[in-house]
Amino acid sequence: MTDTVRSETAGAGNTLRVLVYAALIVAAVWFLLPMFVMIITSIKSLDEIRAGNLLSLPAHITFEAWTKAWGTACIGVHCGGMKGYFWNSVQFVVPAVVLSTLIGALNGYVLSMWRFRGSELLFSMLLLGCFIPFQVVILPMARTLGLFGIANTTTGLAFVHIVYGLAFTTLFFRNFYVTVPDELVKAAKIDGAGFFTIFQRIILPLSLPIITVCVIWQFTQIWNDFLFGVVFSSGEKQPITAALNNLVNTSTGVKEYNVDMAAAIIAALPTLLVYIVAGKYFVRGLTAGAVKG
Amino acid sequence: MSALAIKNVTKSFGAVQVLKGINIEIDSGEFLILVGPSGCGKSTLLNMIAGLDSATSGELWIGGRMVNQLSPKDRDIAMVFQSYALYPTMTVRQNISFGLEMRRVPKDKQDEIVARVAKILQMDHLLDRKPSQLSGGQRQRVAMGRAIARDPALFLFDEPLSNLDAKLRVEMRHEIKQLHERLKATIVYVTHDQIEAMTLGTLIAVMKDGEIRQFGRPQEIYNSPADLFVAGFIGSPSMNFIPCPVVRPDGVAGVQLTSRAGSFTLPLPHLSEKLSPWVGKEVILGIRPEQITDTVVSRHVNGAAFQQAVQVDLVEPTGPDTLVIVELNKTRVVTRVRPEQAQKPGSTMDFVFDTSKAVFFNPQTEKRVA
Repeated sequence: MTDTVRSETAGAGNTLRVLVYAALIVAAVWFLLPMFVMIITSIKSLDEIRAGNLLSLPAHITFEAWTKAWGTACIGVHCGGMKGYFWNSVQFVVPAVVLSTLIGALNGYVLSMWRFRGSELLFSMLLLGCFIPFQVVILPMARTLGLFGIANTTTGLAFVHIVYGLAFTTLFFRNFYVTVPDELVKAAKIDGAGFFTIFQRIILPLSLPIITVCVIWQFTQIWNDFLFGVVFSSGEKQPITAALNNLVNTSTGVKEYNVDMAAAIIAALPTLLVYIVAGKYFVRGLTAGAVKG
Repeated sequence: MSALAIKNVTKSFGAVQVLKGINIEIDSGEFLILVGPSGCGKSTLLNMIAGLDSATSGELWIGGRMVNQLSPKDRDIAMVFQSYALYPTMTVRQNISFGLEMRRVPKDKQDEIVARVAKILQMDHLLDRKPSQLSGGQRQRVAMGRAIARDPALFLFDEPLSNLDAKLRVEMRHEIKQLHERLKATIVYVTHDQIEAMTLGTLIAVMKDGEIRQFGRPQEIYNSPADLFVAGFIGSPSMNFIPCPVVRPDGVAGVQLTSRAGSFTLPLPHLSEKLSPWVGKEVILGIRPEQITDTVVSRHVNGAAFQQAVQVDLVEPTGPDTLVIVELNKTRVVTRVRPEQAQKPGSTMDFVFDTSKAVFFNPQTEKRVA
């Protein structure tokens, strides 16, 4: 009697599990399909693209489109491919990510462990920064860059992203540090460590999970940014996202879908890579505050 | 020269005064306990001694120096925290030597001190572990090691045992006491546990609502509490408080007690004088469970003993003693008797009242009157 009941519930459990997996597989296919189309299109020849089915596998694989997208495709009037723009992006994304993360960590450290009169208010105001749309910042930022004499430079673009990212990075670190016991800082103070020593020797080493989260977040945001890139840089100094747009819009008679696809994948590759390498830590870092111990 | 002097220290957060003029002075080698219920200001006081919090007014002196304006690191103190506050990313060795490194102690001297501390606390084998790989008791020991390594003028302990389970707590209590004897260190120790206070301290300051209610030796506080709060806070099971009228039938003062069987007078010849202003009025009699006992134990009581039969309501064996609960003046009264002497509930048994240590309180002011 009890056995049949148990097997019935087990059966119901199995059916449910199959349903859940089916739903997950459908969702996965749904999200992977565009990626699949992009990849197969990028390794087809132009003739095959014109003749064939969007979803059919290539008859013979060619990487011509990739080499063209990377090195010789025309973007505007320059025919040097994505290469230069890729390095443009690397040049401002890396310092912007590193600096915004570091400053965010320092801000979070102060706002959670060295509270002062009005620090909560300051934090709330900083939080507002998370909700300010890009477009609002553009005009004042252009003026500021001009005043600093860094308009239309890589430094300028890095500066824009650091400033805009600070609200987020500060939020990440502050919320992580409130879960760290205050007594740690008190103990270090009594041990004779100062503000920066405590930060560097005690707080930063235990921040690895949240640093990972912050780096992934910032890297994705800054690398994928289009608006700031278009507005605050021009010509050969533009980031890869702007270049991709220009490449796709530059017409030389024939629409080279395979080159467009290859270029798009090149532009997306770094963020993809960051997720694959550090994704595990991303989830772990996001839940670090939730489960203590 | 006193090791620690707290002179008229107050602390206010806005309009709320959490410490209302604290005065304490202790000599070198004393083990001072700050004990009281939560919110009494004991931890605030400790933080102020450490320099983690500033006093609103008053003076703090450590080893003959006024330290009000000094930062924690310059006060020559070491502190053990409730959460241990071990640096999670450092090994035990690094945890202990961090404070030395900050004070620019040469590397070879650091190693020497770490080795010595590890030996004192028997944790040589733990030196290369991270705090997360240690048990609660071991973490506690490392936290103490970190304090010892510094060889400070004053050790501060902030409820260091409250995160441990009951058995470990007793063990660590012994270890702390031993450490104190061996190092001859001056210690200020905050706890809310009156047993820790009694067992560890050489001096106890009982605090409530930002004030010191009584400051003295443990036995002194136990035997002659200054007020109702201290009397009830120190001792377990706690002191019985029985409201009763003072009478003087034959020129000898006493208090009137009523059990279910009828009234009797508990004579208090040694307190006749002190209680004379209270004749005809009500006082609160404070008498500890071990001062109401069976007739066998009472042979050891000299002098002020009084025997009376009272009905037993409830019996609670604790092992070494049995607590017998009776009713006097409509109040539950706990008595402590030898297990084999305890009678069944409902029956009557003879109790001996040792009135030599009985205390009396003013029911209005709650202050001690005799």
